[in-house]
Formats: sequence, C-alpha cells, structure tokens
Amino acid sequence: MITQAEFGLAVILFLSGALLSSHRKATYILAFAASVLVLLLGVAGFTSNGTFWQYTLLPGISLRLGLDRLSGIFMVMAAVVWIALALYSLDYSRLYPHKSLSAGFNISLLGMLWILTARDGFTLMIGWEVMTVAAFVMMLASGKYYQQSFRFLAFGEFSFIFLLIGFAAMYISSGSISFEHIQRGGMLFMVFVSLGFIIKMDIVPFHGWMSGIYGEIPDTAAAVLSAPVTLMGVYGLERIIPAIPNSEAWSLVLIVLGAISAFWGGLQAVAANKVRLLPAYSTIENNGMILTAIGFYTISKGSIDPSLHYLSLFAQAASLVLALSHTLSKTLLFMSLGHAKEAYNVHTIDEARGVWSGVGKTPALGIVIAALSFSAFPPLIGFVGEWMILETIFQSYKFPGAATAFFAAISGVLTAMAIGLISFAMIKLIGYTALGYDHGRKSQPMAKTWMRITETSLQLLIIACGIGLPAVILFFGYPELLSGLLGVPKPLALVSGQPLFGIISPTFIAIIMLILIIIPILVFIANRKAVRKVHSWNGGIPLDEQEFFTAQAYSQILEHILRKVYRTREVSLGMHRRIEVEDILLRPIRSFTKLVQKLGEGEALVIMNGKISAYVTYILILFVLAFVIGVIVM
Amino acid sequence: MNWWPIYGLKRRLTERTAYGSPVTVGRIPASRFGRSLFVYVIDVGSSNALNFEIDALESPQYNIHRFGIYMTDSPRHADVLLILGRPVKAMIGPLEETIDQIPRPFGIIVLDDCPDNSARLHYADLPNVIAEFKGVPDPSQLLGILINCLSVNRK
Amino acid sequence: MNILIGVLQREENEYLVVLKDGKACLDLSTGESTEKEYPNYPLLKDRNLLIKGDPVSGYGVFRFRYGPVTSGLREAGSFSLYTYGEKILHATIDLNWKHREMEESMTGKNSHDAVTLSEKVCSNFAVSHSVACSIAIENAMGIRANTIVRNWRTVLIEAERIYNHLHVIYKLASAAAQKVLASHLSALFEESLRINKALSGSRYLMGINQINHVNFLPDFSTIKKIISDYQNLSIHFEKLYKHSLSNPNFLDRLHHAGMLSRNQALSLGLSGPSLRACGLKDNLNGTTGEHLISLPVVTQQEGDSLARMETRAEELVNSCQFLIDHLKVSDIWDADSEAERPETKSQGEGVGISHSPSGAVGYYVLLRDNRVLHLRMFTPSYPGMHAVSEALKEQVFTDFPFVYDSFGVHFTDAAC
Repeated sequence: MITQAEFGLAVILFLSGALLSSHRKATYILAFAASVLVLLLGVAGFTSNGTFWQYTLLPGISLRLGLDRLSGIFMVMAAVVWIALALYSLDYSRLYPHKSLSAGFNISLLGMLWILTARDGFTLMIGWEVMTVAAFVMMLASGKYYQQSFRFLAFGEFSFIFLLIGFAAMYISSGSISFEHIQRGGMLFMVFVSLGFIIKMDIVPFHGWMSGIYGEIPDTAAAVLSAPVTLMGVYGLERIIPAIPNSEAWSLVLIVLGAISAFWGGLQAVAANKVRLLPAYSTIENNGMILTAIGFYTISKGSIDPSLHYLSLFAQAASLVLALSHTLSKTLLFMSLGHAKEAYNVHTIDEARGVWSGVGKTPALGIVIAALSFSAFPPLIGFVGEWMILETIFQSYKFPGAATAFFAAISGVLTAMAIGLISFAMIKLIGYTALGYDHGRKSQPMAKTWMRITETSLQLLIIACGIGLPAVILFFGYPELLSGLLGVPKPLALVSGQPLFGIISPTFIAIIMLILIIIPILVFIANRKAVRKVHSWNGGIPLDEQEFFTAQAYSQILEHILRKVYRTREVSLGMHRRIEVEDILLRPIRSFTKLVQKLGEGEALVIMNGKISAYVTYILILFVLAFVIGVIVM
Repeated sequence: MNWWPIYGLKRRLTERTAYGSPVTVGRIPASRFGRSLFVYVIDVGSSNALNFEIDALESPQYNIHRFGIYMTDSPRHADVLLILGRPVKAMIGPLEETIDQIPRPFGIIVLDDCPDNSARLHYADLPNVIAEFKGVPDPSQLLGILINCLSVNRK
Repeated sequence: MNILIGVLQREENEYLVVLKDGKACLDLSTGESTEKEYPNYPLLKDRNLLIKGDPVSGYGVFRFRYGPVTSGLREAGSFSLYTYGEKILHATIDLNWKHREMEESMTGKNSHDAVTLSEKVCSNFAVSHSVACSIAIENAMGIRANTIVRNWRTVLIEAERIYNHLHVIYKLASAAAQKVLASHLSALFEESLRINKALSGSRYLMGINQINHVNFLPDFSTIKKIISDYQNLSIHFEKLYKHSLSNPNFLDRLHHAGMLSRNQALSLGLSGPSLRACGLKDNLNGTTGEHLISLPVVTQQEGDSLARMETRAEELVNSCQFLIDHLKVSDIWDADSEAERPETKSQGEGVGISHSPSGAVGYYVLLRDNRVLHLRMFTPSYPGMHAVSEALKEQVFTDFPFVYDSFGVHFTDAAC
C-alpha cells in the first residue's frame, strides 16, 4: 500500500514538475521531492518483492510494476544522483532557464523510474522510450547543435528497436514477456536485448552518440546522459543476462567487448582536449569494465565449484560497485566541470585552468576527488571497483576451458591498459583544470550556494563509500565477501576469492592514514617558520602564460607513440603548426550520417519539389490507397 | 686499450696539493653548513674565461667532490652563489630574481674579470658578499676560495 | 671558395669583408650581384641580436624558454623553443643578454689597448680575436708582422684550437652520458690549459700577441717539456677517441642529430669545422700567413653532430702533431731584418681574418692618429647561432645539447 502511494506521489510530482517547467525553481524542487520519494521506495525494495501495480492493456498484454532487491539497489543509486542534480539545477538553471531543460529533466527521471520498477518487457520499453525522448528534449535546451541531439535520438531508437526485437523473440519462444519467465527467452532474445542495453551503455562501437555530449548542451543534461542513463543499460543487463542459462559463449563476447570498450575509452580520453569530451570517454571506459564484470558473473554463475560460485558473487558485486562509483563520480565530475566551465565560459581543458584559485575550492576539489576516484586512488570507491574487476580477471584461471582463459587474458591486458590510460587522462584534468595556474583568469559571478552544497555532499559520499566499503557491500547484499585477516578485524576487509586470493580494506587504509598523519602534522606545527613565496624558477625570468606547458603537449607524447591508432597528423602552414588526432571507430558512424543526410536531401529534393502537380499526385495516391485499404478491411 | 677502471686508476690524475685562498672569505650570517658546499654558478656578462675555468674546475685533477663541493643545477639548492663577470644591463633583473630564489642563509662570491673597465656596470648592493676576486682566478685559486669558505663557515 | 665574413657601412658605401684564397679583402658591395654571389649576405647585412624572432602559433603550441640563467648553458643567453610536445618546431635565440658593446668600448682606444681588449671579447678565442685585430691594425699601418711573430701566432692559434676542440668533445661526451669518457676528456682539457700556461704564461694565451710583437717566449727547456706534454696529450686522446667510437650508444646519439645540408651551410655563411663537416673546404689555414708544414684540411660528409665531432677530433690530432714539429724547430726562427721595416702609417684602414676553432674571425679597423676611429668585428658564432637555430628544427628536446654543443659557438662571441 505504502509503496503504491509513494510511487503514485512520485509520478505526480515528476509530472507536475514537468508541467510547471516555466517556474524554474518549482520544477526542480518538485524533482527533488520526487527523487527523495524514489530513494525511500528503493530502500523499501530491499524488503519487499513483487508486483504492486498491474494494468491490463490488451488481452494477453498487461503492464506490471514492482520492486525487488535489484531494483531497490539501482533506485537508491540513481535517486542519490537525481537529488544532487535537482538541487544543483536550482542554481545552474539560471544559466539555462529553458523550459525544455526542466521539463525534459523531470520526464526523463520519470522514465527511468518506470524502467526500474518494470516487471515485464513492455513496461520496460515504455519507460525506455520516455527516457530517451525526454533526454533528447533536454539536449535541445540550448537551441543549437541539433545534429548531435538527433544522433543521440537515432542511437536511442536503435536501442529501442533491438529491445523490441528481443522481447518479440522472447514472446515467440516463451509466450510471455514478464521478467519471471526470462530463462525461457532463448538465444535470439539474449543477443538482441543485450545489444539494446549495450548501445545505451556506450559500448564501443556504439559510442557515436557520445559526441553529442561535448556540444553546447547544458551540464545537467550531460550529467544525466552520462550517469543515470547508462546506469539503465547496466540495470537491464544485470536483470536479464544472468537469468538466461547456457550463455557462456555470449558472456565471453560481452567480456571481450567490455574490455575493448574500456581500452578504447581510456585511449581516446588521453587525446581529448575539450572539457566535456574527456569525461564522455571515461564513461565509455567505466561501462566497458562493468560489462566485463557482468560477463564474468554470468559465466561463473550456477557453477558447483565453490570457488567459482564465490567468484560469481564477487563479479556481480564488482559490477555493482563499479556502477555506484561511476554514477557518483561522473555526476560529481560533470557538476564541477560545469561549474568551472560556466564560470570561465570556455570549452577546452587548456583554457579552463586553475579552478582552485580562479573559480573556487569546492568545484576544484570536486574535480580532484572525482578524477582520483576514476584513477583508482585509495581509499575512494573507484579504487575498490577497479581493484575488484582486476581481481576477477586474475582469477579467470579457475575456469575450465582454453577459450575462457584466452579471452579472459586478452580482456585483462586491455583492462589494465585502460586503467593506466584513464589515470593519465585524469591527471591532465587535475593538473590543468583543477590545480593549475589560473593566469589571472576571472570567473563570472554566479549563484552557487546549491552548487557548492551538492558538490560537497557528493565528494563526502564518494569518500564515505570508499571508507565505509563494508557498509556498501552489505547494502548490495554480499555479506560473504567480507572477512578479516592479518590484524584487520572482520568485517572490514574485502576478500576476492576462496581459497584466499586477494584482500583490501579501504577502511583500514583510511584509519592508518589518519593515525600516521598525526606525527607529521605535529612536527609541521612545531616547526612552522615564515614562508617566503617566490615565482617558479625558469631561467631568472618569471613565466608568462605562453610559456606554460599546454594540455595538448602533455598528451602529445602518447599521441606520437601510438600514432598508428590515433592517426596522428602534423599539420603545418607556414608558421602555424598543430597536431590532429582522430577516433577511427567513429568513422563508420560519420560516413553513415553523411549517407543518411545525402539520401534525405536527395529524397527531399525529389519528393518535396515544390511543383503543384506532384502534390496533387500525392493526394490522389493517398486517396486511392485509403480506398483500397478500406475495401480490404471490409 | 685497457679496461676502463685499470686505465683510469693507472693515470692517477687527482692532485695532492693544498689549495690556498688568495682572498679572505667572510662568514655567511646564520650559517649552518656542515661538511658540504653547494654552489650555483651564474654568468652575468663574463668574457667566457671564467666559464671555461669552472669547466676546468670540474676535472679529475681537482676532484672537487672529495672536499664536499658540488655544483647545483638550480639556485634553490644552493648555499653559495658564484657570480661570474660584471653584469650586462639586461642581466640585472635575472640576477636579482636568482638571488631571490636562493634559500636563506646564503653567501655570494663575486669573480670580477674586468676590474679595470670603468665602462662596465658595477654591482649595486649585493647581499651577503663573502668574497670578491679581481681578475680570472686559476682553478686552484678558485678551489682555495671555496675550501676556505667551507672551513670558515663550518659550525 | 670565397666566404663573406662581414658587411659594414662606411660613409655612404657598403663594404664587404671577404675571405678570398686565404686572404682578407675589403670589397665594395654591388647590391644585387652581391646577393647572388654570397648567399649569406642578407644574414650579415641585417645583424639582429634576436635570431629568428618570429613566433610559431597553433593549437597546443607553446614557447619553452631555456635561459638566460640555466646550469646547462651557463652562459647568459636564452633559447625560446616552440613546441607542441616533444619536437622543437622553431628556435629563437636571444643574444641580448650577453651584449657587452665591445665594439663601442674598443673605439677611441689606442691600437695597443684595442688589441688587449679584443682578447676579452671571447676569452676562449682570445688568440684568434687578437690576431685578427692586430693583422687589421697592421694592415691599416701598412706593415707586415715579422717572421717570429707570425710563427708564434700560428703556434698560439693551433694551441687555442686544441683546447677548444677538446672542450667541445668533452661537452658532447657528457651530454651523451658517457661519464668515464667525459672525465678523461676533462682531464685532458685541464692538461691542455696547463700547457698553455707553460707556453705563454696565461692559461688562455691572453696578453701575448701584440702589434708586430709577442710578449712572452718560453725558453728551450720549457719548450722540450711542452713538446713531450703535447705528445702525451695526443697519444691519450687518440686512444680514448678510438675507444669511444666503438660505443654504439654514443655514436647513435650523435648520428643524424642536427643535420645541415651543404646548401644550408653555404646560405648561412658558415666557416670552420661546421662547414667542413658538410664536405666543403674553406681555406682559412693560410690566414695567419705562416705554416712550415701545411695543415691538412679535414672534411666529413654527413653534416650532422657526429661529423662535426669527427672533424674536430682529426683537426685536434693534426694540430698536436703540427705543434710538436713546429716547436722542435722554433729555436731557428729568424726575425726579418730590422732594416727592411717600412714606415708605419698612423692612419688608414685594414681588415684581418684569423682561423678560430669555430670558424673565421674578421676585423675591420679604421685608424687615425694611431687611435681606433671605427672598428667592426665579425665573429664565427653569429652565423653559428643561426646554424644552431636552423639545425634545431624538427629535433626532439633530448637532442638539444648534441646540436648546440657540436657547433662550438658561444653567446659571448656571438653577441660581442
């Protein structure tokens, strides 16, 4: 009863928020309230299990909404981020007061709520489409860059089509599209539904729509597209794939695809110089790692070998921890970068330097903590996630069969390289944008109270989730993974395999760091002398702005070493020189876009040719067709 | 040719003389130097003889490292600044910046290679000048100055 | 091959100081045909203390300034290297930090003081500068130095060549992190400076050469010791050098670093080892006017840092041998008979060119009442710095010391 009431109230709040989109503050406050309700709903999902609402649409097809543990986990993760974004938008939307942004925000959140509570395929697809279209509407808020928005919509529709085909296949083979009957779904269902979810997760080579993110779309839209929307893809995969039996071959495909995607995301993040493009590729990298984790979970699920059974639990926990870390860190990163970008009014990392001194300590700290989390810096939650996926891959020797071992080895190599590359890219972000010299850049004054509050809360949450890892693991429902060893009391340590394979304890790391830092602090306070500030030393003359190493020069060394992959070109026109790199996996999408444009233009020229005679012909043809169809029906 | 260590040891290049200082070296205020001296060399307008003498000073015959004398790559690591030559006007700014970058306490040794040339600028108000030599010193004289600096300032 | 050494303006005319067949000549410039005949004419005509000052622009391009106070260069001079990462796109060299206005300080001095001051322009090229200056003044006075002076000048110039070449090779070895080789070369360098002191009373051979006069002559027993010291130096150097060439790492770092083509070398107006490393012969050897045994002109073909080092190593050994042979017979040098000395004029103009370790040093002097009315000097480091800037294009940062050190140029000499 209560869950139904909460759900209904949340829906009403979202809808009214959308309707009131012209009253900026009201919409976001309503969105905030609705998100809090979703959070409570998610918590309720831990105890309840079952459908709480059903509506029969047509004979044989009914809409079902319900809650269970998996939904609850994802609802809590998503709701936290929605709350943060809604409060952040209270200030941010002053810069983008468009109705389409606030309306789209509310409706896409509603769509996601629908997805997370769906109990059958049809409901899921409704929610999917609502989310996609609403996100598209959000992207249009700036009134420019239609091409990227349409590309996003096109990919969203592809994903929807694949889901449609997949669920149709399930209906054909099992006669039902309810989630209770997933195991009867069949191969075709599994493949198409995975493709549908993978496209939403930005897995390479379907990452073409990501390029829409570095346009001029507002940062809340970018944050929503990057974190919660891709989270829906993860949710879909988590729900569907493991329930299907005999899916080892497909799981291997998923593992390798995820690893390639992670590697490619890291690689392109290194070369990215626009402030938003780097986090976009980082999303691709993280989702790749999540996909690999899901693949390992599926492949080891149901095994009778106890160590493989443990590994399946561990792999699923890895995918959930990675999803959590990605959601929190990516949202924080986009919020902080949006704050900095709007304050400076720039686009590239090189231009947006020195946020700490130029804009403020909070967004700079946000960038630092989010970037460190992505770079696997202990004791943050990102460190735990990346450690977990690497441990999972290390234990792949336990699988019988040469194929698994081979593909797991490949994916291990690619994942390790991905983590290295993304650290490189994140250091660029920290070193230039967050903590670099500001060269006297002035930031525009803007309302930032709520921005600061939400950025600080997410920072604290990322640190707390890392340090309080046992609580997170218990929240996900895997008490078997926690243990104690070597002086670390149970249950502060996370064990990666039985018999004992690997073990970490960020809680303990944090405790030790706190204890060990006391002595240096005491020594520092006791010996504090007058500090003299001088310019940085460069040959006796203070550095001026043109003499600073640029962000592009920092990446150029890798762009040169891997020039075959980046297709690095040196362009020289007299005294003007620059380097150009390319994401070659976007080439097919670019050529396809051009083809579609040409066809569309060609068609338009032919059909809509402005001649009266042509239009009269069309009217006559339609008339005839309608007549014929009416006759046939009768 | 012999194996390197044999070849080198047979040459016996390092001298065994005592190096005397041609000028008196003062004490650096609040000095706390132990057994080593780190020198940063800056050329502000010399005629290059001094530069070559510094290169000669780093040869095995003098073997300055056995006395604990090292040339640094940055003024921030230096105890003593060794100024070569009379400054060109353009170099006064960089010289002041260099002096600003040396951590306190420090000392300055000036080697003035054209003492008779009144047309060149003279130093104005250099802080902590502990020794000044007029002319181009031999490396043995320069080494004597540096060793004297070490012994005068040792606690 | 004629090389244009300097361009100067006097009254309304433009004059060219040219090295023709081993002799210094002062020609009147003919505008257009001068440009065709001497490809380095534009470079010398507009002498600018900021070499290649035009900047490079582009996305990600920044200017990396090296200098004017660095421990790597130690001289006061700065390089502005434009780059977008590893590669040097363009190098701007700023000579203003070392511009000590030596030409102005030498103007108005009497000829004796002018020669003394010329040694202070660049003290490691002290003999080359003072020989060129004194030859120019002697020409202006209408006299020619006597045999003893000419012979000693030749000896001193070759002694200067020896220690400078040792210094260049020492710098290249330490840049390539060949520490043992560098230490031994450093010992030889110090040894050569001590021989200089025995030979002339000054480690840099300063204060010896004067107008038609040398101030200090070592006695016979000292000369015997000097000869045996040079023999030891030569033997040790040859051993070390041959051994170092067997190290592929050392060779690899120098090979193809800072390549200059023949045309580039000609258009820059290089002379000395940098030109000869590109395969072209200049005839600077005859400029001091006296060689008992002709020194062979050493050339290499590649025009890279390795070629420049090879040229210098061979010249070094040749010069040692030359000195040994020359000094053995120094006791039988005869002065020209005093009676043949012509009257010296107290005014006139003259040019002098000498063969410094890095190329040709040229002086133009206008004398009046035995005082310098107008003086211009043309140093080898000025085109040398242009060559460094040219050779640095498209090199990576790690090859910077190999390119710069291999030319043997100095900011002190270039900026004068």
